[in-house]
Amino acid sequence: MSASIALLGQPNSGKSTLFNALTGLRQHVGNWPGKTVEKKEGTFTYKGDTYSVADLPGSYSMSANSDEEVITRDFIASGKADVVCILADSSQLERSLFMLADYAGLSAPCFLVLNMADVAKERGKKIDAKKIEQKLGIPVMLFSATDTKSYDAFYATLERALREKSQINVSALEAEYRKIDGYEEIQQRISDCTIPGYTPMWLTVKTLEHDKVVTAKLKNALPDEVMELIERQTNGTESAIAAGECKFRWIDSILSGAVTETKTKAALGRLDRIYTHKFWGKPAVVLTVLLGLIASFIPALPVMGIGSGVDAVNGIIRSSMTDAGVSAFLTGLLCDVLIQSLSYVIKMLGFVFGVTLVFGLLEEVGVMARISYVFDNTMGRLGLQGKSVMPFLVSFGCTMGGAAGARVIDNWGQKVLTIALAWAVPCGAAWAIIPMLSTVFFGAGALLVIAALLLVMILHMWITAKIFGRKLVKTADRCGMIMELPPYHKPKWGALMRYVFGRTKDTFLRVVKVVLLVCGIFWLLSYGGKTGDNSILERFGLAIEPVTKCFGMPWQLFLAFIASSVGKEGAVGVISALYSGGSIGTAFTEAMAGASRAANLNELLLANVTRPEALAFIFAITFNLPCVVALAATYQEIHSVRWTARIALYYTVSALLLGCIAYYTGMLIW
Amino acid sequence: MIEMQKLLELLKDGHSRTVEMLAAELHTSAEDIRRRMEYLEQVGAIKRIPFSQGNGCSGCTGCEGGTGCRGCMPADAAHNMGEMWEVVSAEDR
Repeated sequence: MSASIALLGQPNSGKSTLFNALTGLRQHVGNWPGKTVEKKEGTFTYKGDTYSVADLPGSYSMSANSDEEVITRDFIASGKADVVCILADSSQLERSLFMLADYAGLSAPCFLVLNMADVAKERGKKIDAKKIEQKLGIPVMLFSATDTKSYDAFYATLERALREKSQINVSALEAEYRKIDGYEEIQQRISDCTIPGYTPMWLTVKTLEHDKVVTAKLKNALPDEVMELIERQTNGTESAIAAGECKFRWIDSILSGAVTETKTKAALGRLDRIYTHKFWGKPAVVLTVLLGLIASFIPALPVMGIGSGVDAVNGIIRSSMTDAGVSAFLTGLLCDVLIQSLSYVIKMLGFVFGVTLVFGLLEEVGVMARISYVFDNTMGRLGLQGKSVMPFLVSFGCTMGGAAGARVIDNWGQKVLTIALAWAVPCGAAWAIIPMLSTVFFGAGALLVIAALLLVMILHMWITAKIFGRKLVKTADRCGMIMELPPYHKPKWGALMRYVFGRTKDTFLRVVKVVLLVCGIFWLLSYGGKTGDNSILERFGLAIEPVTKCFGMPWQLFLAFIASSVGKEGAVGVISALYSGGSIGTAFTEAMAGASRAANLNELLLANVTRPEALAFIFAITFNLPCVVALAATYQEIHSVRWTARIALYYTVSALLLGCIAYYTGMLIW
Repeated sequence: MIEMQKLLELLKDGHSRTVEMLAAELHTSAEDIRRRMEYLEQVGAIKRIPFSQGNGCSGCTGCEGGTGCRGCMPADAAHNMGEMWEVVSAEDR
């Protein structure tokens, strides 16, 4: 006797393991005719008989969702296989028997292999294959494709199925289908020979499921009035859902009494009960984020110290270079531009490292996903869909990523609004410079400043949504999402640290380039040659200062603000240049001319910038437009010059306004 | 009403739910919800939201061929954010 077998099963049902174990080296791989789908065939001999095996392309069901499924069912219906071996995962039968339920109604003989029986046993599931067999009417066996000892039983079952030409007993399933409106009407008009290889029941169910290939074939075989009837009865997804529900009910009836397991009730973990709580969810998230921020400052502080160390070295180098008679230009270039920029960048890196580490850790253990859940309903209040929360979270890393992430939003207006709001989220560059500057000016008070920034961010997004939302978003019915939250797990420290160091290194290289370039340019512009001479830049600055003071910023900080529109790191370059050279006005000149040549930059900044001014500056650059590249990315996503310009202008103006408010608030405090 | 219709009805109130919450509300197991979601996805009633990798960046210079942008979204970021499905509305279908 020789026979041909087809292996059918969902992905991960262990089909390939079985195929390889059966055929060993006697297999060949090609393509199905006219398709790019891989065709795997092989042979094996058992008791002197040769069997050929076809590994049918893996798919979810027998519905025509892809080439794989169409190939699979055409192969089965054509009668090329003497018997079809259907595989299911024993450890999750409710799910994996779906293939069997969808197969029921095809004419080819079959048998059922409950694979991965060992896994099911480990999980405390007892499966009575005999009981399932009685209900199905086909041979059913427990099996482990990885266990060589279970193959004798497999061959025996195979022989039995071939001998009996066993077919699934579909009466219980058909009784379920009959309950669907329109099922019987359609089924009565289809006969066994409408399309050979498929029973009327199977074809009817596929019409209910809107199977395009089946419908097209039926169109050729059936009169027009029947097709019209089918179209009427199968409108919408309801019929497909009803058909699926029948299959699930049938699967459950097959399994009832045949599978015993220690049922675990659906229960939320202790942490999830807090995070997903209607009332406590938000406070819990806010607390988590604040604690995260505090924690991220811890690794940053020692690095700040290193940065200050560079300042001290800078002072020594400066004085020794001056003593050695090196030209003022060269000394300035080395000390004011190169070393000083470096000291700023080093100070920033601590925060980049800290923030990336803490928030990378929160994501790694699964907390970040809960945060996205908690803010889902807030999105609704902003007129957005829940999925907008992801672009916002990504924007904490980079606004460009956020803009690109907004691609998942199909509605144009909602996409524009999402990107417009994502701009208000401080990006990675802001997270580098803002904590650094805040620490320089406010010491430990920096944490309060950051908390205030986050609070303002939420307010900003809310107001912006109100301003732009009216034009962009129509109120529509909103459907909630289904979320599969990842399980909490211990972090993989190796991978996490590689990620954090990689990100810090990338930021370092990028920031060094920007800061050095901007600092160099502004230093040259402000270089007056002799101390005391007003450079062009300074004269310009002093001219505009009456205006910039309105926003609470001295002209140097205002120029830094302008530079931050190009890239937030640029602001540091400007500060580095303008608060170091001989261009800063009398206070600075006096400081430099005095004995304290090693006066470090922090002190210089503090001597020249008041706290309200610093606060104004910090708020203004945080909420300024993210950078020119983000501007370009925004245009690329929303394809509207008008809206891109509108958003950019809005952010520039509102940033200055926020700076102004921060300045006067600061005046009240200090 | 049948289970999957009930599931879709529930979501119409605009509130998102986790698989476990749906299971609790519909008095069934999370596994049962998952197999029904799998089916709903197959028939196009719900769809997975394709976040994380692949949608990458298009605007910056540090990218290598669209995926794995080093400038903005690192390739290995957002890998543990779970998954989200949205209901496909009748007009989108």
